[in-house]
Amino acid sequence: MTVEEFKLPDVGEGVAEGELVSWLVAPGDRVEEDQPVAEVETDKALVEVPSSYDGTVEELFVDEGDMVPVGDVIISFRVDEDGDGGATAEAEPEPEPEPDAGDEPAPDASADAADGATSEPDTPSGRTFAPPSARRLARELGVDVAAVDGSGPGGRVTEADVRAHAEGGGSADPGGADDGPEPRPAPTDTGSTGRKSAVSKRGGDGSSDGASAPAAGAPEPAGRETTLATPATRKVARERGVDLDDVPTDETRDGEAFVTADAVNAYADALESPSEPEPATVDADPAPDAAAATDAAGTASGDETVPYRGVRRTIGKQMERSKYTAPHVTHHDTAEVDALVEAREQLKPTAEAEGVKLTYMPFVMKAIVAGLKEYPYLNSELREDDEEIVLKRDYNLGIAVATDAGLMVPVVEDVDEKGLFELADEVNDLASRARERKLKPAEMKGGTFSITNFGAIGGEYATPIINYPETAILGLGAIEERPVVREGADGTSEVVPAPTLPLSLSIDHRVVDGAVAAEFANTVMEHLETPLLLLNE
Amino acid sequence: MVVGDVTTGTEVLVIGAGPGGYVAAIRAAQEGLDTTLVEKDAYGGACLNRGCIPSKALITGSGLAHEAGNAEFMGVHADPAVDMGKMIEWKDGVVDRLTGGVEKLCKANGVNLVEGVASFVGENTVRVAHGGDGQGSETLEFEHAVIATGSRPIQVPGFDFAEDHVWSSADALDADTVPDRLGVVGGGYIGMELATTYAKLGAEVTVVEMLDDILDPYEDDVKRVVRKRAEELGVEFNFGEGASEWTEAPDGGYLLRTETEDGEESTYGVDKILVAVGRQPVTDGLDLENAGIETDDRGFVETDDRTRTAVEHVHAVGDVAGDPMLAHAASNEGIVAAEVIAGEPAALDRQAVPAAVFTDPEIGTVGMTEAEAAEAGFEPAVGEMPFNASGRAMTTGHTEGFVRIVADEETGFVLGGQIVGPEASELIAEVALAVEMGATLEDVAATVHTHPTLAEAVMEAAENARGQAIHTLNR
Repeated sequence: MTVEEFKLPDVGEGVAEGELVSWLVAPGDRVEEDQPVAEVETDKALVEVPSSYDGTVEELFVDEGDMVPVGDVIISFRVDEDGDGGATAEAEPEPEPEPDAGDEPAPDASADAADGATSEPDTPSGRTFAPPSARRLARELGVDVAAVDGSGPGGRVTEADVRAHAEGGGSADPGGADDGPEPRPAPTDTGSTGRKSAVSKRGGDGSSDGASAPAAGAPEPAGRETTLATPATRKVARERGVDLDDVPTDETRDGEAFVTADAVNAYADALESPSEPEPATVDADPAPDAAAATDAAGTASGDETVPYRGVRRTIGKQMERSKYTAPHVTHHDTAEVDALVEAREQLKPTAEAEGVKLTYMPFVMKAIVAGLKEYPYLNSELREDDEEIVLKRDYNLGIAVATDAGLMVPVVEDVDEKGLFELADEVNDLASRARERKLKPAEMKGGTFSITNFGAIGGEYATPIINYPETAILGLGAIEERPVVREGADGTSEVVPAPTLPLSLSIDHRVVDGAVAAEFANTVMEHLETPLLLLNE
Repeated sequence: MVVGDVTTGTEVLVIGAGPGGYVAAIRAAQEGLDTTLVEKDAYGGACLNRGCIPSKALITGSGLAHEAGNAEFMGVHADPAVDMGKMIEWKDGVVDRLTGGVEKLCKANGVNLVEGVASFVGENTVRVAHGGDGQGSETLEFEHAVIATGSRPIQVPGFDFAEDHVWSSADALDADTVPDRLGVVGGGYIGMELATTYAKLGAEVTVVEMLDDILDPYEDDVKRVVRKRAEELGVEFNFGEGASEWTEAPDGGYLLRTETEDGEESTYGVDKILVAVGRQPVTDGLDLENAGIETDDRGFVETDDRTRTAVEHVHAVGDVAGDPMLAHAASNEGIVAAEVIAGEPAALDRQAVPAAVFTDPEIGTVGMTEAEAAEAGFEPAVGEMPFNASGRAMTTGHTEGFVRIVADEETGFVLGGQIVGPEASELIAEVALAVEMGATLEDVAATVHTHPTLAEAVMEAAENARGQAIHTLNR
């Protein structure tokens, strides 16, 4: 008889440790090879650890609830000499890291790929590369597989990516800001009990993590040079905008500071609301709707979190870049559009006869082109690196379309060369395909100026964010009858109802000054108030 | 309600026991649904009875005879004689075993089998007329239905399959003698499979095709390999000609008359005329309008990606639902239909459906061609491996053809493949797996393949696409 030790196997995908949730055997129990002996929850999944031997359980080295680094001995077996199991004494079986669909979703299923390669290629024709198993899982979880960021080679979508997307923790996205190799904590210095997973824990454990959290109300950046953390923790840090080196911690590995996701969240919470630090608790109950899942971030019980992924994140990045790159100034004005309303009414039957649904948008586009021709700096792009402003010769107008998936901005090219009906047709086509998510990426590129029509939903004025690197964007309110002051028949001023169109023009103040913006707006308004001028366009 | 009718209820009614219908029925039953399968003719549908299986049996038989008689270059001398009656008997035995197996599987899975012709009388009701006078009929009420009535060969005006000498593909698979002269109308895959089969069995085969080449959907270099080989087997091709009529020849046999678009006529002396110009859906007699289902202008039932028709609880699968009209696509659709009915999150979410043509040599294709990939916006990376550079191909004596693999240059994802050559129908499965799994060229190239096998050519083609081929010059 020999005694063989069994180490927690490497389950791959950057998982550094797991919580030993429960023992399924006790010392003295007879086990057979492949018989599950323990349940371990990693940040990926709840997995069963199978015995690699035929024999008897000799000793359990870890208590239920303990966090166990990969590679630590968790159990030993007294092995039958004549059994088959001896042959596999050196083997470290890899438990299947995929939980059943019914399993409790891990609060954060993110797991950065060890190779750190980042790739999110555009696939033409809206094609998503994913194996049938991942596609089926996506359907089960109600996930649009096309919206999942793939972490596999070339951006292939894996089942783990789908789960991560469904659970709101993001994909096993190897990308992000860190291009360097993710330091992987060595499985040493792990004697402490009660330590928590870097990225995952079951309900009730959260409060005990206070030890590693910064003092409430007064987060002091630790300012270390190096910090160890699991990839998933790094991801949490990126998402919460926290520098890992600043997160206070008492834990160490290999002599280096080791930071957990809880500590990151606690620190981020403290930074955001120093007076009322939220304890980093996580509700580990399965979300009733798999698409709306909890995540590892410090979310109060009962809150709902939704994944910040796909189109939403793309929009977010673009908005952030625009807002924090271009100093925005928004100029507001109101056009009185009696004549425009009348002109459209007159044209509508002709349009209908040609099968065209004529909205106000083509008129506005033409009026904008008139303004852009007069004030070309609004139809420009600032290239900071080259220290030049490019005045665009094309008049390609982006039309912001609200879709279920988020904001899409298809571009109508060469607006100056097209007639009203042609524009109407094109806008209708692009908008409807945007809503169906059937736009090709090329159809959203090449814009020189954008229009956002929030009035279609309701509202008068807003602050549109420029579709960077364009220089300006015009927001349209709703055309409605509003009180305007006009000269009456007897020469006195009177307040009368008239259809008006509120305009909100945001400009990049680096390129355009307020005066030019106002003049541009005046030209646009002049063409809207006197639509005959559009004939010249 | 007809006098004598009885009404029974079922959760799932499947009409047609071909590879779409019986698979749907079995899976529905496996899902715990009370399932009834109505078949008017024979279990297994066209595939088992009149298509894939019998044709492959004859192709194998004729191929074996031809191989044995043409292996002098290997030092094998033989003069095989084909007993066509015996071959058909063997083929029928294969078919019987398979169709019997289908019936047994259905029963074993708890599918209720009903023989007869189903027609809709409402959105949730069909009437099944049992065969023969006085056999009566019954009415079935269903919660969900799956239409899987398949397709039949299209007839050309003037060429009535009822005539003894005018063959449908089914007739060609049942003939117990080999005609001296066979005229084949249509150079599509069915026409070409049977043309090469009969050429190997000793018939003098003339193919008449309206288009200017055989096997319309395939790429030119793929067609070329098959056409060249068919010509070597003695098949004569006449392109740009449509069959116009037949007449009896004064000296016995028949004259197959053809006409070009310019009105030029030709006449070919034949003993049998095989008409293989395509297949049309079988929907007549179903009274689909009673269920509120319309067909498109070609008669196919339109379905969505969950195999649902315009009437949501009625599904359609297989040939009746249109392209791809392939048995394996039908089975896949049948499973999806059953699972959707059972509330599973199934869908036709496949990236590609492989197709095989059992000519000599075979063709196997899946996914995109180079042109299709470019059209779809990919930058195609294409690799090829000719079988004349394959050691295993040389040892089989069949070195014609090639493996081509098409991938996306940027990501390496395999998008498709075209194989023409020995065992192409088998080899294409590897490319299909790659396409479906989202495998990259590197994945395929770095997967160790058994040597010496034909499958190595797939690995080599993947290497070739990466500019790293060892056994061929990189293109």
